[in-house]
Amino acid sequence: MKILNQILTSLVLLLLSVQFASAETFSSEQVARGKYLAVAGDCVACHTAPNGMPFAGGLPMHTPFGVLYSTNITPHKKTGIGEYSYALFRQAMHEGKGQVGHLYPAMPYTSYTLLNEEDTQALFAYFMSMPAVNQENLDNEIAFPFNLRFGLAFWKALFAKDIDFEKDSSKSVNWNRGNYLVNALGHCGECHTPRNITMELDTERAMQGNVIAGFEASDITPLRLVAQGWTKPDLESLFKNSYSEKGTVFGEMSMVVYHSLSRLNDSDMNAVTSYLLDSDVPVTSKPIIARTPDTKAPGHNTYVNMCSGCHGLEGQGKPNIAPAMQSNATINRPSLYNSVAVLLRGIPSQKYNATTAFYAMDSFEALSDEQIADLINYMRTAWTDEPPNASAAQVFRIREELEGQGLIGVGSGHAEF
Amino acid sequence: MSQTINMNINGQQIGPVEVSDHTMMIEFLHEKLNLTGTKFGCGAGVCHACVVLVDNEDGTTSVERSCISGAGYFDGKKVRTVEGHAKTNEQGEVSELSPVQQAFLEHYSFQCGWCTSGFVNTATALVEKLAKHPITKDQVEKTVEDALQDNICRCTGYVKYYQAVKELILKTPGLTV
Repeated sequence: MKILNQILTSLVLLLLSVQFASAETFSSEQVARGKYLAVAGDCVACHTAPNGMPFAGGLPMHTPFGVLYSTNITPHKKTGIGEYSYALFRQAMHEGKGQVGHLYPAMPYTSYTLLNEEDTQALFAYFMSMPAVNQENLDNEIAFPFNLRFGLAFWKALFAKDIDFEKDSSKSVNWNRGNYLVNALGHCGECHTPRNITMELDTERAMQGNVIAGFEASDITPLRLVAQGWTKPDLESLFKNSYSEKGTVFGEMSMVVYHSLSRLNDSDMNAVTSYLLDSDVPVTSKPIIARTPDTKAPGHNTYVNMCSGCHGLEGQGKPNIAPAMQSNATINRPSLYNSVAVLLRGIPSQKYNATTAFYAMDSFEALSDEQIADLINYMRTAWTDEPPNASAAQVFRIREELEGQGLIGVGSGHAEF
Repeated sequence: MSQTINMNINGQQIGPVEVSDHTMMIEFLHEKLNLTGTKFGCGAGVCHACVVLVDNEDGTTSVERSCISGAGYFDGKKVRTVEGHAKTNEQGEVSELSPVQQAFLEHYSFQCGWCTSGFVNTATALVEKLAKHPITKDQVEKTVEDALQDNICRCTGYVKYYQAVKELILKTPGLTV
């Protein structure tokens, strides 16, 4: 029995030594820290294929230049980053240059370059300590000339700089931590900051919102968030449950919340909300706007007949079925992109966690551009201070763009025979 | 806070009638027209027990959830409810069930029956569509599953519902090629 135990133990040890070859060189604190940072950086969301092994890559990313596939970042010696030295890993993270040469900026190294040395080392320790997965990387489907990686050198020479994160001494430690989490690890700007013609992030318009994959990554500047009445508890609720008084999370942001934001520790959550609202102290909420509906407005009947069954006649919503329209930040903003996109695309049912879920929203593509503009104006008048100036021409342009991407009509429930 | 609406329900012209903004279609059917065959299930558009049929001008038929659609949505439309499928005699009594209804009876498809009107409507729309656009026999199973997938049955009677519709489609001339 004793011998059997010894054999089993040595077998287990042998297996461990094969699987985690380099684990011994890193401290467990460093690996644990790296694991948390990888969550805050949301690495898993892109580096995992649907139903695939975590961090083994293979997720297709549709870009204007073709399809990119994320890569295997487990420490497998042949198919992963097992042969990477720390210097090479650092170079990939900060300068966008890996074993294959220049990396496409789908890898957000323009944000990760702000990571400090200690955190980059911890991330390296974590990735090198995880189980290696033998999964070959997929070939990118990028059109000429963008498939030539040396071309990226020019782009990077112009736009990607290895810069260090600079603390703003006029702000609190908490705010600076939030800035680091949002801009370096969280790489929020990669979606929320518009890009210019060269695909460079337009820092002049940082976080002012950007249409990506048929939805608009919202304007999340403090100015806009405060104008919409966001408070720290609202943001915290959104980041933990994908739901708040200001609405629900939809589109790709759902994955960000699930894999990353909802797993931040309390002090980091506070840092992020303080940074986003540019305030270390609680921000006072704004009273909900609820005007008597204008029953003569052209959008009134559309709302009553087609929306109120779920969202409520007063826009109050139904818990765990449909979010409230009163105080909903998607309506309460100058841009009508997401209002139109949600109406035309529909939203599949979403289960955020054990106690929070919302039912699918139909696509209302049969509504005319004018009806949609009228409906948005009706909701704006009833529940926001935004001017009711949505026009059919604006709706038409958004419809055209979504149609071009094959994104119209994904909702469910509205069957036709 | 109200709308004046007209519609055709099961061949009968209704209205003009005034309905308040709070009136969902199912309430209108139950309370104003005494058509209680349409059942209120989840009240949130999920279970499809409450669906009614709308015959569109282009010849297609839409399946609409009456619990979340305002009565005003049906203004000017041609609507069919579960009461409209069977043949009736001069006294207004049911003389012959529709083929879908008959198939559900023969297969003992339902137990409590709450979801049945919804299943009858969705299956009827499917059968009518196949009469215009027949499918091959090997497509029948998947077509039935796709068509009925939104209808929920809490007595878990799906198998007998699906079998009934599948058999009806296979044995009715003209629905398959």
